[in-house]
Amino acid sequence: MALGAVGLRTWQWNNKLKSLLLLAGFPVLLYLLSFAIVLLVGAGGADTVAGGLRDAWAATPGLFAFACIVAAIWFTIAALGNRWIVDRITGGREVTRKEEPRLWNLLENLCISRGLPMPRLGIIETDARNAFASGLFPKQYAVTVTRGLMESLTDAELEAVLAHELTHIRNEDVRLLVIAGVVVGIISLVGELVMRGRWFVFRGGGRRSRGNQGAAGALVLIAIAIAVLVYGLAFVLRLAISRNREFLADAGAAELTRNPDAMIGALRKIAGHSTIGDVPAQVRAMFLDDAQASGWWGTHPPLEARIAALVRHAGGRDPGPLPEPAATPPPAPSQDANPWHQAEAPQDAGQANPWAGQAGELPWWRRR
Amino acid sequence: MEWIVLGVIALLIVWLVIIYNRLVALRQTAGQSWSDVDVQLKQRHDLIPNLVETVKGYAAHERGTLEAVVQARNAAISAGTPQAASAAEGALSGALRQLFALSEAYPDLKANQNFAQLQAELSDIENKIAAARRFFNNSVAEYNAATEQFPAVLFARSLGFTPRGFFELPEPEREAVQTAPTVKF
Repeated sequence: MALGAVGLRTWQWNNKLKSLLLLAGFPVLLYLLSFAIVLLVGAGGADTVAGGLRDAWAATPGLFAFACIVAAIWFTIAALGNRWIVDRITGGREVTRKEEPRLWNLLENLCISRGLPMPRLGIIETDARNAFASGLFPKQYAVTVTRGLMESLTDAELEAVLAHELTHIRNEDVRLLVIAGVVVGIISLVGELVMRGRWFVFRGGGRRSRGNQGAAGALVLIAIAIAVLVYGLAFVLRLAISRNREFLADAGAAELTRNPDAMIGALRKIAGHSTIGDVPAQVRAMFLDDAQASGWWGTHPPLEARIAALVRHAGGRDPGPLPEPAATPPPAPSQDANPWHQAEAPQDAGQANPWAGQAGELPWWRRR
Repeated sequence: MEWIVLGVIALLIVWLVIIYNRLVALRQTAGQSWSDVDVQLKQRHDLIPNLVETVKGYAAHERGTLEAVVQARNAAISAGTPQAASAAEGALSGALRQLFALSEAYPDLKANQNFAQLQAELSDIENKIAAARRFFNNSVAEYNAATEQFPAVLFARSLGFTPRGFFELPEPEREAVQTAPTVKF
């Protein structure tokens, strides 16, 4: 039982291990990037290529420590900023047990059965079928679903979706994705600086005689190659982590509800209906499904892959794609259906529009 | 050199500990999912005396069928392990099917609200049993596979990780559990 996944639990363990390995890639990337910078700065003063590499490697830990401190500060800011972004963009409405007894009871039962504190529950009034978890720290944890999702799923399917989001919360995926975002942010910022900095190094860095020009040039090229590599890998790594966490959340849903079929059914019903307005990728990463990006650039694995994994590892049964309805009614005009655009939403749209309140009104999870 | 040897030994021990802990966790999951099945089975058992009493009021002379149901229920309650439960629950499903088939001959019984409700509850529970059974069998299969993989296979048996039995229903009875009893009017 060393590696292969032979069932639900081993699949979960493998995914967790994979996440950990992917996450361990970030410090490595930061270290490589620090090395590239030291190399670039010291390039002009090196006698030979080998000597320059050796000197730079010796000086890297200091810069790496500095990079870690920057990352920590950035994370603090991003954690607060992330909350602000989610507040602005996904203006859902907090609901109580009385308003939405069905949804509330399903979530509460799941929480009770696992001894979890109940997160806040929110609803977005839109026909799109999606859901997301938010919050970096226990007091902010919230699960939000769309009205379209609630109306199209059966109780068992809705429970599976809630269990999926609850698993995101249990696994602290929001925090993980913010960390990943910070590292990618630092790397792309520094990568940009390196790309511009090479002109500076070429012009002003040649403190010694001309004999070292060749070595300096080679070192600069090496530094740029490393920076480009790190830059690309960082993006791929972040998306890979995000996709990995989705598989984990699906497995968690099957485990919590003991019903892989319900999760499959929910995914089938979501297919083709999950897109809600324009939402930045940072926020979309936490959605139940994100159809706007796929393949290598997707924050989510394709639905088919998720269903196949549930069938294979959790013993689910796949009923196959749902028949397309012959003619879907055109979506309602944006005056009350689209909660994503504050500017376009008329003030008299009433209850259906979460933005309809006074301009200064806070989203539901910031009140109190 | 000594350090390398020590390191390899330490890694090996860590690996074995991880494998052992995983086996324990898998056994735990299988045990838990059996209790999920058991809860549903108990609920079914609890409904049966009520059902028998209701039927007696209308068809007291169908003693054979009623007794068969009661006996099958008692046998099912005393079945402890999944394998024993497989057979006993299969017999119980068969007896219940006979009872519901018999109710077709008694319009008054079929019109009884209590009876209709019990029938609906039983068919709901049977759906839940089917789902819980599948989850249980899945986790047993995972546990069994884990004990048979290398290197766990070398020590799993001697440490008490014996393979577990599935909760299977014989073919005709499985049909009965998967398709809820239909009511014709």
